[in-house]
Amino acid sequence: MKLQALKSTLLVSLFSSLFLLTACNPTVTRVDSDSVTDLSGKWNDTDSRLVAEEMIQDVLSRGWLSKFNRAKGKAPTVIVGTVRNLSHEHINTRTFIADMERELINSGEVEFVASAKDREEIRSEVKDQDLNATEASRKSMGNEIGADFMLQGSINTIVDAVSGEQARFYQIDLTLIELGTNRKVWVGQKKIKKTVEKGGFRL
Amino acid sequence: MLNTQKKFSPDFLSGSCAINLNTIKLVAVLCISISLQSCASYGSHAVTMREGLLHGDPKASLAVAELKDSDQEEVVASLDKGMLRRMNDDYIGSNQILEVAKQEIENLHGFSITENLASVAINETLRGYEGDHYEQLLLHAYMALNYIELGQIDGGRVEMLQANVKMMEWGDEPEEDAFLRYLEGMIYENMGEIDSALISYRKAYIIYKEKGGKQYPIAPDAIKKDLLRLLAWNGLWSEYKTYKKEFKFNDYKPAKASNKYGELIVLLNNGLAPIRGEKAIHIFSSEVESNLRVAFPVYDHPKQSLFLPRVSVNNKQYAMDKVEDIDDLARYSLAQDMPGIMVRATARAVVKYNTQQTASDQGSLAGLLMTVTNIVTERADTRSWTTLPQEIRLQRILLPVGEHQIKVQMVNVAGRVVDEINETVVIKPKQSSFVVKHWNTPVPKNIPLAQAK
Repeated sequence: MKLQALKSTLLVSLFSSLFLLTACNPTVTRVDSDSVTDLSGKWNDTDSRLVAEEMIQDVLSRGWLSKFNRAKGKAPTVIVGTVRNLSHEHINTRTFIADMERELINSGEVEFVASAKDREEIRSEVKDQDLNATEASRKSMGNEIGADFMLQGSINTIVDAVSGEQARFYQIDLTLIELGTNRKVWVGQKKIKKTVEKGGFRL
Repeated sequence: MLNTQKKFSPDFLSGSCAINLNTIKLVAVLCISISLQSCASYGSHAVTMREGLLHGDPKASLAVAELKDSDQEEVVASLDKGMLRRMNDDYIGSNQILEVAKQEIENLHGFSITENLASVAINETLRGYEGDHYEQLLLHAYMALNYIELGQIDGGRVEMLQANVKMMEWGDEPEEDAFLRYLEGMIYENMGEIDSALISYRKAYIIYKEKGGKQYPIAPDAIKKDLLRLLAWNGLWSEYKTYKKEFKFNDYKPAKASNKYGELIVLLNNGLAPIRGEKAIHIFSSEVESNLRVAFPVYDHPKQSLFLPRVSVNNKQYAMDKVEDIDDLARYSLAQDMPGIMVRATARAVVKYNTQQTASDQGSLAGLLMTVTNIVTERADTRSWTTLPQEIRLQRILLPVGEHQIKVQMVNVAGRVVDEINETVVIKPKQSSFVVKHWNTPVPKNIPLAQAK
């Protein structure tokens, strides 16, 4: 009886002290944007960066670019289409597409035109200029450049899981398709595999 | 109660017993009971929160829900907010808070030592609430429906895959949810993945077949037709014939996809899920040779009878099939948990009895205080997702491409239409247009007028 009482005493004191614990202030540490921070095992900035790096390096080193240059004597114009997310996570595909766009434009070898949605806004601005801008600065409609290629893609995942453990496999496929002929001129692929283990205990 | 404790404590502390372990213990218990004052039972909160829904005013219910848990740490509060936001047509907000709930459920993974000790020493409400399995799966289903409402069916597909991963983690024979599988099939079908859709429909049908009449409704005709149609589309004719025989659908002919037709999918969330109440009984413990009081959750009201919904379009009426019975699921789930709840409740009663006895040894006042504290803190865990509907009903109708006026009519036992929801739907070729509605009560349409007067 005495021992039991002592045990319960200790238990109760333990809880009371836990209750009295208050939340601490958040600590912020600045880290390099290239550093790997894996927290939950979900798709994160590192994955996005790895995909962008691989794709950029691949798309610039392949033959489609020089072939097009030789044939047409100009840099190809590309438009970004849809990258379908068929994975099990809500993935923002814009981050690595934007990375790719930047690198390709800066390389000077590829030109990009605004996507269908962006064009709407620009057209309405041009329309507005038609009414309100000075004649010297006014841009006229019908001068847009038609794209030669469209970039499309998809993200697929395969997840295997047992209680507390997961193996996640991501495959990102990007394809450059020639407009008009529907010819695929470049296919880029990046595979990422991770294992995630969840802790069996928590406070 | 709080005042009484405060008034008595100084007398007790200045009394004959000097500060010893027991004094510390008593103070500790008082601290806890004070901190528990804020945690009124979820059940009573749910009753207040649902008041608005039962009077045709979902905004009022949302307002009550939004006041709770401003730190967004409690899963059940986030689930309620998510459901009420979608009832108020805020699908982005709904998904935002449901995503928070999803994350919190993830954070509750693993065995918590403190919470489990607390559930044995004080009460069950101190355990983190991650939702029953059916609630966790329905969280994904409603997020998917939100994405569909926002025109982002890809997002809906993501939710279905996440639910799949969850079921995978639950073991070799996971607790699958029939409606979730059915919805998954509809999403796949809409994305043109008819092979995946077939697998989902087949799984859904098997759950209805095996568990129909217990946790799930008896396999509705809708799933049978969809399964046959997809078997035909995938060219699996021998399986098609077997199922056709099993369903006794002798006259059934699978619809062919045509550019002139599209599909209307109507889902109705009918009624409200049951609320858990609390019951306390005295059980005899052989360990301490005494009768001990334990509290546990119960569903103390029988299942509500609901109006039957039907879809009316182009002067034709279509009855809606019951595809999920959350009332049954909730009761079944609690019955499954009951042995564990009772074991913990008994253990807790023994711990509490011992603290009372030790306190009584120190003096009658200490004993009384301890007894009162123990009675006050003995609360059942009444948490559950109570803004879920009581049941989900479905109808799928092939319609000619173009705009249609549809009505979801609620019909009483006498066959009279009690209320109706009107909606304009645009049917697109070879695609499904979803109409997802919630219905709780006939909206008293004359009230605003009366107020105006």
